Amino acid sequence: MEKSFVFKLMGLNFDLTGIIGSTLMALAVLFICIWLSRKVEMKPNKRQNVFEYLLDFTNGIVKDNVGDNDAQKHLSLYAFVLFLFIWFMNQLGMFMEVKVDDWMFVKSPTADPVATMSFAMMTLLLSFTFGVQRFGVGGYLKNYTQPVGFMLPINIIEEFTNFLTLSLRLYGNIYAGEVLLTLIGNDLAHAGGPFTLVLAAPLAMIWQGFSVFIGSIQAYVFVTLSMVYIGKKVTTE
Amino acid sequence: MIIQTLFAASHIYLGNAIWYLICFAILMLLIKHYAWGPVSDMMEKRRQKIINDLDSAASDRKKAETLANEREAALKNSRQEATQILSDAKSNAQNTSKEIVASANEDAAAIRKKANEDAAKAKADALDSARDQVADISVAIAEKVIAKNLSAEDQKDLVDQFIKGLDD
Repeated sequence: MEKSFVFKLMGLNFDLTGIIGSTLMALAVLFICIWLSRKVEMKPNKRQNVFEYLLDFTNGIVKDNVGDNDAQKHLSLYAFVLFLFIWFMNQLGMFMEVKVDDWMFVKSPTADPVATMSFAMMTLLLSFTFGVQRFGVGGYLKNYTQPVGFMLPINIIEEFTNFLTLSLRLYGNIYAGEVLLTLIGNDLAHAGGPFTLVLAAPLAMIWQGFSVFIGSIQAYVFVTLSMVYIGKKVTTE
Repeated sequence: MIIQTLFAASHIYLGNAIWYLICFAILMLLIKHYAWGPVSDMMEKRRQKIINDLDSAASDRKKAETLANEREAALKNSRQEATQILSDAKSNAQNTSKEIVASANEDAAAIRKKANEDAAKAKADALDSARDQVADISVAIAEKVIAKNLSAEDQKDLVDQFIKGLDD
């Protein structure tokens, strides 16, 4: 079992693995975005095309799930950054895991429930904000009793389940991918001499490819569901 | 394992959550400023430009259409005009030729009539002068005959005849 380096600062615990991973990936997203949009022109060049394709993609997610035009404009940036950030964090563990002895230093931050819960919490708070902005505090609270009064407890429970499913789905997928990759790379490869070592290499490669796919799908699902939850808050039923 | 996890929950690294949120917020601001903002603006600008281009293209096409229609109408008009002119000229020519022929006929008739008249007059004049001359000649002849040969008997016959003529 790997351990991570935890330190305490101002009464809060910090886990170095998550901080390193997220910071690295934030920088990666930032530099790639800046690199892609270095020369912005009316007739887009190749790099700008890639950027615009990504932007169109996330804007499409927002447009499909949020009915309100005003909210769409505000959510465009959020969806774009969220998608790229989560995608990069998902992929980080696929090609890079830095382990010194048993201390883990770099792996996917999203293979950690705290990270996914942070982002899910962000979405949840954002959905509250949008809901209150749209309907006012009274109107927003009243929406919990829609369409009928006895739905109130179910609607409140739904907030928690939304939060949990959103965060744990991402966590579970990425974590499982990393666990299986570790199993193939460490345990299977060293199980029985050269034969398993040779067998493990293509298996690891296949699983890595599949994990890249899963990571992309999960990033997409995370952003889509975030938009669905927010979209539900800004539309009347 | 489960107990370990529960134990770990007591010092769960909440700091990370804050770090993620700060990280995300800073990332969002930087991307908005350096990448997302300019590209979005450019996309919006391009959208406007395309809308304008489409609009102007539509209006241009409309203009061209009206122009073509106008030109076609003008062409048709001019063709009509040409036909009109041609037919006018033809009818004018016909009229003129008719007039010419008619006036020629008239002239010819007048000339003929005048010629006839002249001829008749000449004839009458000729006849008159001939009659006068015949009368003169016959008077002269009669004078000579009478002066030379008129016997008493002949004078009597003449007088008788004259008187007989008076009786009739």
